[in-house]
Amino acid sequence: MISLMKSVVGGLTAICRAHQHGPLYNHLKVLAAGVKTFEIPPDYSGVVLPEKSKLKFLNKVPNLKKARRQMKKLLDIQGPAKAANTFTSGQYAIVAMGGGYLHWGHLEMMRLTINRKMDPRTTFARWRINAPCKPVTRKGLGQRMGGGKGAIDHYVTPVRYGRLIVEVGGKVELGEVQHILTEVAKKLPFPAKVMSRESLAELHQKQQDMEGNNQNPWTFKQIAEGNMLGIRKVLSPFDVRYQGRFTGKFHFPWRV
Amino acid sequence: MAATLCVKLPLKQGWLPLTQCIRHGSKAVTRHKRPMHFLKKKLLAVTEYIPPKPVAAPGAYPSQTERVQEDNGLVLLMKRDLRNLFQDCKMVAVLQNNSISADDMIMLRHRLLKYGITVKFFPNQVMRSFLSDSVYYNMVPLFVGPTVLFVSKEPKVKEMLTTLRTSPQMTLLGACVDHTLLSAQGIASYSKLPSVTVVQGELVSGLTMLTSRTAGMLQHHPAHLSALLQQYVKQQSPDSNTEAASKAEEAT
Repeated sequence: MISLMKSVVGGLTAICRAHQHGPLYNHLKVLAAGVKTFEIPPDYSGVVLPEKSKLKFLNKVPNLKKARRQMKKLLDIQGPAKAANTFTSGQYAIVAMGGGYLHWGHLEMMRLTINRKMDPRTTFARWRINAPCKPVTRKGLGQRMGGGKGAIDHYVTPVRYGRLIVEVGGKVELGEVQHILTEVAKKLPFPAKVMSRESLAELHQKQQDMEGNNQNPWTFKQIAEGNMLGIRKVLSPFDVRYQGRFTGKFHFPWRV
Repeated sequence: MAATLCVKLPLKQGWLPLTQCIRHGSKAVTRHKRPMHFLKKKLLAVTEYIPPKPVAAPGAYPSQTERVQEDNGLVLLMKRDLRNLFQDCKMVAVLQNNSISADDMIMLRHRLLKYGITVKFFPNQVMRSFLSDSVYYNMVPLFVGPTVLFVSKEPKVKEMLTTLRTSPQMTLLGACVDHTLLSAQGIASYSKLPSVTVVQGELVSGLTMLTSRTAGMLQHHPAHLSALLQQYVKQQSPDSNTEAASKAEEAT
């Protein structure tokens, strides 16, 4: 290869010499400095784009035989997510950093923004949440209190900490989709972050490392389970389960 | 209301209730963090995460294995220059350069060049690596910070000091004159010494004075010389000394 290059360069110089004789052209040289080495582009050979790359429309109201009013069931948004907290097909996602309710307006906003701004030939997006199914009741305007529970006003999707909302993948890098996802994420009713597979794994790893490296001899678990000084009186089972890392829908990332 | 506040009914008339049980049940408002019990706050404070002590940053301690760096061509060239310089030049003065301006430097160079003193710059690293291998390794501590070398084939210390008086930015640190290491004070005292020819002249004059005095004495009268020699013999012999002393005592 090198010998070939040499021969080519030699040929070039020979041509130069043949064309331009004289003392003025004696200093002509082929400059090899300044040749840039470019980064190897990422390999997308294993990426398969699905047929429908855009986000699906989600129903505003679930298709039920009989709509039933439910209790608030705050446990739906408390604590960490049990489902959909890891990636499946995509590379980048919006991750909930706290609990909350998404209603149909949020979903439409996300769907329209992402579908409009992403490139459907190289990118695909997938919902990781279900359509709104939890009924929220309201009483009519100007109605006196009492008289039982109000009518179902709208439906919401409960989201817990750590749940992926939308997954984006395809033949794209994070820089290409990040601005779209951050624009969406900051409009959600709970703190949300744009994460890639690597950064999410890094977050989990960081939490594990914190648990392993904690230099504090007193841990919440030990004190709560041992009921030291009768502390269980002021702790709820929720606290005991999550060791003070959650208060309701709020998450404390600095606690282990 | 009745559900939230349940008061124990008084058993007797005129007896006030001692205990009230108030239900602090589940609150539906999830917008804000609910106020925490003080004991729970204490517990959270006690069980906070304490990170491990950060280990020393990489490079804070010198590495166990010494790294041997190969000299590149430029360094080798500079080392060769230095070797020639120390061989040829009798005076190598080391000065600290306290940010002299370019114009002043040009003037100083020009003035030094009148006496055949040249100004040289070498990187300290190269200088140190060269000196540590050579016989001048005691000069190594001089090469800290911006340093300049004043170099001349003849040891023109006095001229150098007079030129340096006009440029206060340059501080003399030490020198190697005639393969002898001198401190700054040593250089000053060296400059006060008379030149070699003068010293040689003095020596010759001293030697010639002795011979001339001998010759002069020989030209005197022989009686004078014999008297002097007699006196010399008397002084040399110890007996005569004691006799003379005893005679002197008797006389007294």
